[in-house]
Amino acid sequence: MTVQMIFLAFFGGAAVWFGVVVFRTHSMVRSALALLFSQTAIGAMFLVMQAEFLGVLQIMMMATEMSVMAIFMVMFMMDPGGMGKMDMTHQKRLSLWAGGIGLLAALLLVWLPDWSPVALSVPGAHEQAADLGRELLGRSMFIFQSAGLTILTAMIAATMVAIVPNAEQGK
Amino acid sequence: MSILVVLLSLAAGAYALAVIERWAVHGHLSLTGPAWAALALLGRESLLARKSDRLFFELGPVLLLVAGLMAVAVIPLAPGLIITDLATGALFLNAALAYVLVALIMAGWGPNGAYAMIAGWRFLGQFIAYAMLIVMPITAVAMRAESLSTVEIVTSQEQLWNVLYQPMGFILFVVAAMGLAWLPPLDLPDATGELAGGVEAEYTGVRLAVLRLARMVIILALAGATVTFYLGGWLGPWLPPWAWSAIKILAVAAAMLSIGRYMPRIREARYLALSWKLGISLALANIFVVGVIALVVPI
Repeated sequence: MTVQMIFLAFFGGAAVWFGVVVFRTHSMVRSALALLFSQTAIGAMFLVMQAEFLGVLQIMMMATEMSVMAIFMVMFMMDPGGMGKMDMTHQKRLSLWAGGIGLLAALLLVWLPDWSPVALSVPGAHEQAADLGRELLGRSMFIFQSAGLTILTAMIAATMVAIVPNAEQGK
Repeated sequence: MSILVVLLSLAAGAYALAVIERWAVHGHLSLTGPAWAALALLGRESLLARKSDRLFFELGPVLLLVAGLMAVAVIPLAPGLIITDLATGALFLNAALAYVLVALIMAGWGPNGAYAMIAGWRFLGQFIAYAMLIVMPITAVAMRAESLSTVEIVTSQEQLWNVLYQPMGFILFVVAAMGLAWLPPLDLPDATGELAGGVEAEYTGVRLAVLRLARMVIILALAGATVTFYLGGWLGPWLPPWAWSAIKILAVAAAMLSIGRYMPRIREARYLALSWKLGISLALANIFVVGVIALVVPI
């Protein structure tokens, strides 16, 4: 249990540290990949907590997603390599307030509700994967399918909005 | 113990593959060739481009090697001879190989050179083409085995190998695997003669040696995955299981290395169009057919 706790804390710390790096660096690619490693560390936390399927899935999905995000950041930002020492933060007052409120909400969520005692035994990894499958294709099917469709629509819409129509193209 | 055995056979396999690649590309068989080439690389000066992103430049090849090794960890070579038999093995293989993309983007971005950078981002486009065609055939394989564990996938093929049970999935997977290992004709990220070596363009000396070794490990991991998912893994008559694994993996790797030599390099846009319009439709059809067979005639 204690070894597990130490690893959990280590990966949690790594996730937070890489999260900080996202804003401390000047390079868009570094920023995107720091976010990737932050998410990978969260995947490792799932693995430590013996949620094997979720952990592996998180580690897999984030590699792709963050790489795709990196190329969008490089395409649309004016200083992708960070040679001009661009600042990653903006709207500082608003961000501070939003971050503070978010932190407070997270802390309240940790302390206030009555969490049931820590589970000492978890179902085996085979069983977990099967259970997850039954959940996704049963009770939660509609929610997950509509979420997938919504995300796809949002991606296409966001890309279309980001492309500035070129006057030359119309002629 | 089995970790050591797997790693040693991986080293031997990588060397054998280097010999085979030399044979396939230059046409002469030399057993000591790769050793001399490796020694020469280790002795050569390792250049560092000016104003490079040093961290990514150094980490790229290493991450590539780590990704390959992680993928090898879930490939069974014989009953009990596997580094770790995860319940989510087939998914874990995907997760490990997703970092090939990250490593190539790092290696492409790192040296601050135009050819390398174009090549790195090109591989991202290539990833969009092959990614679904890796995952969807594996889904059909897992459907038959009713498990994601690679060991159970092999034992599920005792009656009939998957290459006969789902031939369409086999072809899609092998082509996608060649895309993942950027083998010709899908070698867009190093495109010799077009991008001057692409991702490899700015690497020299020890770093290039690591990059090449990592590539060999990835090809072996993918050949191992093909054998595990479609060619019955260690199953076979007369010979011991490990020998069957070795023969099959080397044969698949040799085939993947030599097939593309005789084809023109495919253009990025065409590859994407083919993968999405034809490939994904076929992969979906494959899943459907396998589902129907699994429900109607349980073999």
